[in-house]
Amino acid sequence: MGVIFPNKKPRSAEAVADSPGAPSPAQPAHEPPAPAERADREAYALRLIEFIRAESSGGRLTSLSTLASRFPTPEELSKELGFSIASVIAEGPDASDLKKMEGSSDAWYFSESTITGSYALHLLRTEEKDPLMLIAETVRDESRIYPRPTDLTFFTDPPFSMNERELSQALERMELRPDMSDIKRCAASNGATYLYSTKYLGETLAETLAEWIEVGQKQNP
Amino acid sequence: METFGYTGKILRVNLSTGSVYTDDTLKYKEFIGGEGMSMKIMWDEVPAGTHPFAPENKIIFGAGPLCGTGAPCSGRTNITSLLPSSPFHGIASSHMGGYFATELKYAGYDLIVIEGKAASPVWLRIEDEKVRIEDARWMWGKGIFDTQAMVASFMGKEAQVAAIGQAGENLVNLSVIRTGTSHSAGGHGGVMGSKNLKAIGVRRTGSVKIAASGKDWLELDSYMMSIIGANNQMVVPSTPQPWAEYSDKGSRWTGRKGLFWGAANPPVETGECDPHDMQSVGLRTMKAIFDLGAGAEKYTVRMGGCSHCPIRCHSQLKIPQLEKYGLDPYVANTCVGWSGPRGVMCYGIKDFDGNTGPDAGIVGNAIGTTLADDYGVWCNYAQIGRDLKYCYEKAVFKRVLGAEEYASIPWNKLLNGDATFYFDFYERVAFKKGEFSHIADGSYWIAQRWNLGEDYWNDKNGKLWTRGGYPVHHSNEAGAQVGALISCFSNRDSQNHSHMNFIGSKLPVALQKEIAGEIFGSPEALDAPAVYTKMNVYKARFVKYSLVRSMLHNSLTLCNWMWPMAVSPLKERKYRGDTSLESKFYSLATGMRMSEKELDEMAAKCFTLQRAYTIMQMNTVDLRNAHDQTTEWPITPDHAKDGTDIPQFTPGSIQMERSDMELGRTMVYREFGWDETTGAPTRSYLESVGLKDVADRLAAAGLLPG
Repeated sequence: MGVIFPNKKPRSAEAVADSPGAPSPAQPAHEPPAPAERADREAYALRLIEFIRAESSGGRLTSLSTLASRFPTPEELSKELGFSIASVIAEGPDASDLKKMEGSSDAWYFSESTITGSYALHLLRTEEKDPLMLIAETVRDESRIYPRPTDLTFFTDPPFSMNERELSQALERMELRPDMSDIKRCAASNGATYLYSTKYLGETLAETLAEWIEVGQKQNP
Repeated sequence: METFGYTGKILRVNLSTGSVYTDDTLKYKEFIGGEGMSMKIMWDEVPAGTHPFAPENKIIFGAGPLCGTGAPCSGRTNITSLLPSSPFHGIASSHMGGYFATELKYAGYDLIVIEGKAASPVWLRIEDEKVRIEDARWMWGKGIFDTQAMVASFMGKEAQVAAIGQAGENLVNLSVIRTGTSHSAGGHGGVMGSKNLKAIGVRRTGSVKIAASGKDWLELDSYMMSIIGANNQMVVPSTPQPWAEYSDKGSRWTGRKGLFWGAANPPVETGECDPHDMQSVGLRTMKAIFDLGAGAEKYTVRMGGCSHCPIRCHSQLKIPQLEKYGLDPYVANTCVGWSGPRGVMCYGIKDFDGNTGPDAGIVGNAIGTTLADDYGVWCNYAQIGRDLKYCYEKAVFKRVLGAEEYASIPWNKLLNGDATFYFDFYERVAFKKGEFSHIADGSYWIAQRWNLGEDYWNDKNGKLWTRGGYPVHHSNEAGAQVGALISCFSNRDSQNHSHMNFIGSKLPVALQKEIAGEIFGSPEALDAPAVYTKMNVYKARFVKYSLVRSMLHNSLTLCNWMWPMAVSPLKERKYRGDTSLESKFYSLATGMRMSEKELDEMAAKCFTLQRAYTIMQMNTVDLRNAHDQTTEWPITPDHAKDGTDIPQFTPGSIQMERSDMELGRTMVYREFGWDETTGAPTRSYLESVGLKDVADRLAAAGLLPG
């Protein structure tokens, strides 16, 4: 199992798993399994892994806190020195498809068989509930990877699904953030607003690309 | 003799004499099929200087050796003839999808060659070996929809029909030949009309045999199906999806959760179409919302397309509002079939006649598309709308139309976005009513007739690419010099998607550059969008590859709107496609083993033959200056918002530079092995590819370089 995309200084997964004050679990997608009758480590790990895979098949991440809440640790295991859910998963059978991401207050798992790393990152940023960081980091990624400016509607569509008010408030607040001063706006001639990061795109290039995406591309089918 | 891939027969029809006979296909096999064979037949049999509407001109309907075999995306019909809208009536091909070509193969023919002129309107009835020239006087004057129904009343609904509308009958330069409900070949409708040929109906009982075992064929087919993307070989979805590493809102892979064929009963959800799921390939491209906007979802009955194509790119809609205008509520089309007529409403479609909001645009567009498809009017890749706007705004119409005619045109409808303008527009054009109707002569001819001058040619918004009278079609905006140069080698809009199916894949640029490096020798073959670099040899290779592959696809016949497949949607393949698929299919289908390189060389030979024919038609060896030049606007700097120039080759500029383009031409000529000064094929090159007879004829005309 790999660890990817630590984008903020995280609390340790182990600490979250053991903490009585761990965040409430997400809305359950499946009935929790009956308490483990076989308290061996492998059987417990399998339950965790299959749950993560099932959630991933539905396009969802699984938080460590959710696992802790939904899969009570068998008593025998919890007595083990240095026990943690994260270590059980990491050492579990055939979990090579599982990836772990560190969030600001929780750790998140997904199966790479059904969710790509980039989509998982979209989900993580949404789960983090920090719209400014979501927008800034996503725009930077788009400006760097493709490279291209990012249409505002990107954030109102799934998986982000921000509403217009949230988006406009976030953009206003973003302008006051020195650490996000690289995020700029440009507009296409049809009025569509795009964001780009000056770390990766210049103003003229961003404007040309936005115009192409919005107008030129449709005129050259 | 048993043949594989090919049927082995060319149907020959002389409408002047009424003679019908067959010819051997395989004597032309070095020209592959479809467009390649058609070029050879035109070169041999139609002298340069022939008028497109003369009985001596021929029109050739071609299906290639892969058509009818089941090879994916192989339902294309290639149509080659002289092009009426070209200044020198250049040799050119138009193409249509649908089921016509496949039916033709199953009836036993690879090509139909039609010559002469019937004394009165006729239609051609093909039922396997039974071929008859039928009386079409009662069909003449009808639109294409009625014509198709009339042919079907004789031959049965299974018959595939290619027909012209009133525009073709009346020898309108910009007219189409159409099959099915939405598959139009633009440019040659008038040629059929000039021969008094209203329609061709085909119905068959046969099949196409392939040389390979079923197992080998299925294996290759399955492999290819793992590589195929969505329409135009776009390999990432338009929205972020769990299976996808990348997304791009401009992608035609529009299928997603919550998006439906909304007018199906019950509605069909496109869903997320994981590329490993072969059963959902046909749901990937929900083209209605791509072409017409989100409002089209509720009108979408399903997506349609062509025979043997898993990519369904034609939107089939039910728009009840059309009945109010006496039109069928069922309407279908794709791409420029929608946007071409939309361009005629050059000030946009606004609320009209009780149609409001997004519905107004969709209903209005559908009116235009239906009328264009029924009258059979071609848009010259949307140029007709730009020409209309130019001539209105520059007061050309005021100058050239009589006062009475000018006053009779409902300009207010055009200006106010009232789409009922279409009824007036298309009727005038299709029936050649008045001076206004010459707007459909084509750009070159209206420039001559109405004395439009340099301003017309150099108008950036006009988008005219060359003095040949055709516009951009994936030109400088598509891979810098690659697209720009590709568009210089045609006798019409380039219709070349070999480069676009790669550049437009929507993968990140760095990844595309890696793949470009593997195919063309260096990542420098591909520039990032609007971050253009100077010309280089790798770009020249990309240009040649694109020109050759387009000819190859039109010869095989495969859809160049899907092929070649240089990329794939599969992360485990590192998004690599396979550019040797065409040769693999060709080898299995025909039993004639052919490498990728060998097949490309055959296609290059066909392309060179087109080049030679163009030299004969233009009566000059200097194609560099007489044919391959752009208008001025593509080689003029862009302007920034503050009005200052954005110099070429600075980020944000997509403009070309004159000397760099000349270098590009030289490099492309060199890649082909042609003369680097004139761009004409040399005797040594022609003889090396088995075209000595072509060299001899060019030499006799004083049209060989050097």
